[in-house]
Amino acid sequence: MILVSRLTAIASVAVAQLRHDRTRTLLAVIGVTLAILSTMLLAGTGLGVVETGQEKFENAGRDLWITGGSVQFTPSQVGGVQNSIYDAHTFADELRQRDSIRTVGPLLFQTVYVSSDGEEFQTIASMGVPSSAGVSISEGRGFQGDSHYANGSYNGPMTHEILIDERTATLLDVDVGDRIHVGGTITSARNNEFTIVGVSSTGNQFLGTPTVTMPLSELQEITGKTGTDPATIVAVTTTNDSNPQAVAQDLQTAYPELTIRTNQEQFQATLERQAVVLAGGASLIVLAVVAGLTLTLNILLSMVYQQLPQYAALKALGNSSITVTGVVITQAIIVGILGCVVSLGLVIPMANGIDHLATTITGFENVVRISPQILLLGIGVAATMSLLSGLIAGSRLVGLDSIRILRNQ
Amino acid sequence: MVPRSTIYHSSSSTNTSTEVDPVVTCTDVSRHFTRGSSHSGWFSRSSQSAEIVTALSNISLSVTRGEFVGLAGPSGSGKSTLLHLLAALDTPSTGSVALAGRQTNTLSTRQRTKLRLDHVGIVFQHFHLLPSLSARANVATPLIELGYSRRQRRQRATELLANVGLDDRVHHTPGELSGGEQQRVAVARALATDPDLVIADEPTGELDTTTGKRVLDVLAAVATDRAVIVASHDPQVLDRVDRVIRLRDGHRQKVDETT
Repeated sequence: MILVSRLTAIASVAVAQLRHDRTRTLLAVIGVTLAILSTMLLAGTGLGVVETGQEKFENAGRDLWITGGSVQFTPSQVGGVQNSIYDAHTFADELRQRDSIRTVGPLLFQTVYVSSDGEEFQTIASMGVPSSAGVSISEGRGFQGDSHYANGSYNGPMTHEILIDERTATLLDVDVGDRIHVGGTITSARNNEFTIVGVSSTGNQFLGTPTVTMPLSELQEITGKTGTDPATIVAVTTTNDSNPQAVAQDLQTAYPELTIRTNQEQFQATLERQAVVLAGGASLIVLAVVAGLTLTLNILLSMVYQQLPQYAALKALGNSSITVTGVVITQAIIVGILGCVVSLGLVIPMANGIDHLATTITGFENVVRISPQILLLGIGVAATMSLLSGLIAGSRLVGLDSIRILRNQ
Repeated sequence: MVPRSTIYHSSSSTNTSTEVDPVVTCTDVSRHFTRGSSHSGWFSRSSQSAEIVTALSNISLSVTRGEFVGLAGPSGSGKSTLLHLLAALDTPSTGSVALAGRQTNTLSTRQRTKLRLDHVGIVFQHFHLLPSLSARANVATPLIELGYSRRQRRQRATELLANVGLDDRVHHTPGELSGGEQQRVAVARALATDPDLVIADEPTGELDTTTGKRVLDVLAAVATDRAVIVASHDPQVLDRVDRVIRLRDGHRQKVDETT
C-alpha cells in the first residue's frame, strides 16, 4: 500500500512537471514519435518488399528463372539492355523437349521510343513475351501469338498489337483501341504503329516503370535484334511431379554458362542486388532510434538541470534518490507512452499513404506492410528509448550533491 | 523566553549540564574542504592544484526543543556550513554532531537522508519550490517518502498551509505567489514531517521587511515546540531569536542572549 502511494505520488509529480513544461514535453513526444514511426515504417517497408516480392514470384506461376548472368545496361545501343541469352526461341524449344518441363517463356526487356502522334517521343521500358497467356490483363484482351518469328525467318505477319500499363496510358494519354508508335529508334518507331489491345500491369511489376508488352519477335524486330534472337530471362514451369530444385541442377549441368535459379534463389539474388538499399534502410532505423533517444535525453536532461536546485532541496528534505530519480524516469516513461500511442495511431494511415504514393509512382503495390510484429517492434523501441533516456537522466540525480548545488545558489 | 539549552565553548572540553535532551549537539566540530578538485560532470577533469580550506574550526553548541537560535556572521564565516552539519546534510571533518541522539558521521548517506526525513525540516533562502506543483503539492512532497496516501498528504499540507496563513493559496503554483508567500510555503513544507529541528538559511534574504517579519512570525511560532536555527545577516531576524551565535572565519565569536 505504501509502495502504491509512493508510486502514484511520484507519477503525479512527473505529470505535473510534464504539464508545466509543455513545449519541452511536446518536443520530447515528437522526438519519440518520429523515431518510432521511422522504425515501424522502414521495417514495414522491408517486410513489404520481402513479402510482396515473394508473392510476386509465387504468383508468376514459374518455378525456374534462367539468365545469362547479370543484366548489363548499354545506353549507347538500341534497346539499352544487353541480353545474354541468344537464340531464345531455339533454346526454349530445347527446354520444352524435356519431360520435367511444362512451359518455357523467354522474356526480353528493352528500352523503346513511344509516341501517340509520331511527333513527340518518350523512352519507356518494353517487355517481349512469346504469348500474352502468362500476362495479367485488367482491360481489353491479349495479343494474337508470336507469328512474326516464323521458325526463325522473321517474315511472318506482325500483329502490331500491344499491351500497355496504366502509367503508360496516363503518360501518353491513350486508351485501349488507340494506336501508338513504338520502335528501338525514333525512325523505327515512326514506321511501326501498334494497336493498344489491352491494359496489363505485369511488365510494370517486373520493372517498376511504365512498360509496354508485345510479342517477343516483334520487339526483337523493332529493336533490330532478330539476328541474335535474344532474351533477358527465361521463365520455366516444371511439371507437377518434378522437383524444381532437381530440374534446376539438371539444367545447370546441361547449360553451365547460364545461371539457373529457383523462385527463392531468384528472389534472394534480387534482394542481394539491393544490399546497399537494405543497408541504408537498416542504417536509417538505427539513426532514427539514436536521434529520438538523443532528443528525448537532451530534453529530459535540460529539464533536470533546470530544476536541479529543486531536486537538491527535495533530497535535502529527506526524499530518497529513488523518489527523486523516479520522478525523472516516470517522465521519460510517460513521454515514451505518449510517443508510442501517437505513433501507433499514425502508422497505419501513413503506411497506406506511402503505399498509395508508391503504387502511383512505381506501380509496386503493398510496399509497406504493418504486421503485429512491426507494431510490437515500435512498442519495444518506445520502451527502450524511454527507459534508457529516463535512466541516464535519472542517474544524474542519484549521486546528486545537494550541498554543492544549494551552496551555489 | 528562557533558553533551554546549554552553550559551551570549544575550549571547555567538558559539558557543563543539560536540563533537557538536546535535539542537536555538535562537539569540537571542524570542517575542511578541498578547493579545486571537485568533479562537476561526466566529462569534467579534476584540477591538479588542490587547496585545503577550513570553513569551521572547533565549534560546539547544543540546541533543544523550544529554542529559536540565530547564526550570525559575515559571508564566508561558516554559517551555511554549520547549518549543513547540524541538518546532517554534511558530516564534520573532525568532532561530532549528534542529531536526535545519533552521531551523523557514523551514518551512511542513505541513513542520514532518513534521519533528516524524520527529524529535520529545512527552509532555503531561494525557497526551491517545484514550479510545476501547487503550494499544497509542494508542501506534501516530503510526505511521499513516508508513504502517506494522497488524501493524507493533501489533508496534512492543507493544515500546514492554513497554519502559515495560506489557506486561500493552496492551489496556486509558486509562480503565482509572492516571495513572502513562497517562503511561507517553504516553511510549511519544512514542517510537513513534523521535525524536531527546523533549519533556515537566510529565510528573509529575498524578502522585504514587512514580508520578512511575517515569515519570522511563522518561524517564531514554530519554535514553541521544536528547535529552530536560523542563519542570517538580517538584524530583524537576530532581534527575534532567543540567542545569537556569532561566527567569524569559521570560529565562534560569542553568544548573545537576546531575550
